[in-house]
Order: sequence, then structure tokens, then C-alpha cells
Amino acid sequence: MRRRLLTVTGVVGLSIAVLAVAAARVSGQGGKPSSPPRMPDGHPDLQGTYDLATLTPLERPAGATAVLTADEAARLEAGVAARNEAGARPISGSRAAPPKGGDGSAGAAGNVGGYNNFWLDGGTSYTIVNGERRTSLVVDPPDGRVPAFTPAAQKRVAALQARPTSDATQSNDPGLETAPGAYDDPERRPLGERCLLGFGSTSGPPALPNYFYNNLHKIVQTPTAVMILNEMVHDARIVRMNAQHLPPTVRKWMGDSVGRWDGDTLVVDTTNFTEQTRFRGASRDLRVVERFTRVGPRTLLYRFTIEDAATWTRPWTGEFAWPATDELLYEYACHEANYALENVLRGARRREADAAASK
Amino acid sequence: MRVTCATAAIGALLLGAASPAAAHHAFGGEFDANRPILLRGPIVKVEWVNPHTWIHIEVKKADGTTEVWMIEGGSPNSLLRRGVTRESLQIGTELVVDGYQARDYTLKRANGRNVTYPDGRKLFLGSSGTGAPSDGADPAAGRGAPR
Repeated sequence: MRRRLLTVTGVVGLSIAVLAVAAARVSGQGGKPSSPPRMPDGHPDLQGTYDLATLTPLERPAGATAVLTADEAARLEAGVAARNEAGARPISGSRAAPPKGGDGSAGAAGNVGGYNNFWLDGGTSYTIVNGERRTSLVVDPPDGRVPAFTPAAQKRVAALQARPTSDATQSNDPGLETAPGAYDDPERRPLGERCLLGFGSTSGPPALPNYFYNNLHKIVQTPTAVMILNEMVHDARIVRMNAQHLPPTVRKWMGDSVGRWDGDTLVVDTTNFTEQTRFRGASRDLRVVERFTRVGPRTLLYRFTIEDAATWTRPWTGEFAWPATDELLYEYACHEANYALENVLRGARRREADAAASK
Repeated sequence: MRVTCATAAIGALLLGAASPAAAHHAFGGEFDANRPILLRGPIVKVEWVNPHTWIHIEVKKADGTTEVWMIEGGSPNSLLRRGVTRESLQIGTELVVDGYQARDYTLKRANGRNVTYPDGRKLFLGSSGTGAPSDGADPAAGRGAPR
């Protein structure tokens, strides 16, 4: 979509730039650089802005192989590009309103169709790790799927779904008309809708792509602290280097992150999550261990391991490439025009008023 | 041929899995599937902000009076990276919008399921050199085109 908006001159310029970068990659190195750029303290320089957008989903779809061939990936990526092109084509200027009762759109579009995909920027290619084009971020378990919930977690999640709270799944309005209390007050709405954290774990940890837009992350590094800023919703996570975790009584939405160097890999250990964070149903005892390794002049490898014995039957691990980008990460001042939360709550009050009036 | 079929099958799986799994808010909680709308009118105000852009258009009613509707769009950040700014939406530009009205129907607010110019071109798109037919409304001559 981005390319459609460039002038012919821009496309030619971009092509030259891409070729130059490709040539530099070929001549520069064939894998992990033996001597990555370093900070004055001798540790690798991981700083930069990275675009996490990818077509690779968190979990491998049933029936898919773990790795795509270059041809398979190219065809699939071309299919996505074609779908975007189709979505950009003009439609009738004299069209009618969409159908009453909804347009049948599923998921986030909630039967009302969302909005045109020219707003979106969900990724154009599959992540490449060790030269492999992956079909899931999850690499352990080897089937590429998040492990099963423990029986206790199944009960806990079922109870949450019966009475949604602020960590409820945002995409499907569970039981819109009947779930008691889901629309009663702002604090019962999802953290993303309240502009407190990015949705779908963009804030992290783990920092995941959201397959939608604004997937940029920025790393700023000092000897005593590393900051990971995510564009959406503008959350800065401060990793204290070589520090002890805070007491367990201190809880944070993004947890408490401490870092250390394991050779040339930055290891970030995060605990002390809140009751409300609940990454994919996790408990407050969630522990996330992230590993950041520079594997090329313009690429980090991001690997994360999730441990929460109260939620999953075993730990699980994912990984994907973080390609550097020259794009700017913009402010995402989420509260500024969050009419959505107001509209959601006002809609519920209107339904209640209408129901009372009809009695 | 076998490879093509296998790729298509994987593609169906992966594309389904990669479709947006979450959005900033619950669309179905905000907008009413039983209140479809089709609106036409000029832009009178643009709120080019997060988490969602809101485009205000003035709509003429059957009785000749007008009312202003607010149309929800996406985050401006990704468009900004493509060079599209608030100035790309000039006040006075005529738009056609289809979508669904807010669940509180006393509000003149709706989602921009499709937002186009009167000739059906999608906003920000359709300039020449992009594969779209050249209709004289390219960036050099058109209004509301990307800068």
C-alpha cells in the first residue's frame, strides 16, 4: 500500500536503495556478525527503531508446515499484496447503505465492517529466522501452538468470559446484550480500549506484532538501563540492568523488567505483573524472559519464553526477527480522541434507557 | 501444480490466522449493526489524532437543513508514514461514507466502513501511477490527494 502512494521517482529511488541494501548485506556478512557494533561499555549496540509487523501469526495454523519455501512465501506475500490492491480499488460512488443487521464481518470488525484497509499496515512478509520463513512465532512446543491451559486456568478463564472484566477479549464483544456488567463502567472495559496498554500485547512483554498497524518499537540503551518504547500505545518499558526484582508487593501493568548480558545477548527477565494484565489469560505469576540478539546490521532476533505454571501446562517459547526501519515512530496519544470508549458506554446506557421506557 | 495447491491451502490457513485479531476497541460495542447509514457531504473538520481519526462532514437532510456527522477512521500514524497528513483532507472536500451509526443513536457518529470521494475512489488512493485508471484527479490536479 505504501508503494502505491509513491511517485514513480520515489519507486525508482526506493528500488535503488533496496538494491544497495541487498548488495551491502550480501557483501557484508552471511549471518551473525562476528563483531556487532558496540557501545562504549563494550556491549553490543541494540539501539534503533524496529518494525515488528509480519504476516507470521503467533500460532501455526493446523496443517501448515513449520517453514515455507521461498516460492511458497513469495506466493503468499503476493496474495496479501493483491488483496490489499483489491481493497484499494474504487467502488461505486452512488452505493447504498450497508445491509441492516450487519455486514457479516467477523472478528475485530464486529459485524459493522471496521473501516477501509488503507488505514492498516499489518505486514507484508513472513519473518525469517536462521534463513527460514516461519509459519508461527511459537517454536516450542514444536507444533507451533501455545500449550493447553491447566484445569485451574480453564476454570478461571471460563469465569472471566462469563462475566467479562477489563481484560476481556476485545475483538468479539462476548455476549454483548447479555453479559452482566461488561459495559457498566470504564474499568470493566479492556485495557486497550481504555488507552492504558497496547492491545494484543504490543506493549509487552512479550512484545508481539498486532497484525494491524503501528508496530514500531524503539530501543534506547545505556549501561544502567534499556528503554523499549512501543508506538502503541506509547508505553516506555524501562529495563534496569543488573538489578534485583522489586518486592512481590509492587505490581506493574507491564511487569518489572531487569536485564543482564549473556555474552552478546541482552536477557530481560520480567515478573511482578498485575491481576489485570493477563497476557492471553496468564495469571499475575507470569514470568517472561526475553533475549535480544543482533544477528545482522539491520536485524535483531527477538526470543521470548513464557512461564506461568498457574496457566499453561508447560513453558513456551517464540521468536521472530525485528528488522530495523528508517521510519519514524510517532506519538500515540491515545486518550486524546478516545470517543470510542465514550460511545461504547453511551451505547449501553441508551439500550438501558430504551428498555426501561418500553416497560 | 501440487506445490501450487499446497501453497494455496497453507495460504488459506495463514491468511485466516493473520487477519486482525484485535482492535483498539470493540466495533460491535460502539456501532449498531441495525442502523446502517449512507452519508454525503463536505468535510467541515478533521480530528487527525489517536486512537482514531474523526472526520466531520455536513450532511443535507431531506428537509433542506443540515447536520454534522462524525466519522471514525483508523490511526493517523501509519498514514503519516506514507506522507498523508491532515492537510490531505481539505475542508470542503465532498465525501461519501457508508457505515453504521453509534449505538447511542442520539449521536451523529458512525464508523467509516467505506470512505470515498463522490466518484468512488477510496480516500488517499487512486492516484495515477498506482494502477488505478487515470481520471484527471491525480495528485497534480486532484483534491485530497496524498502529498
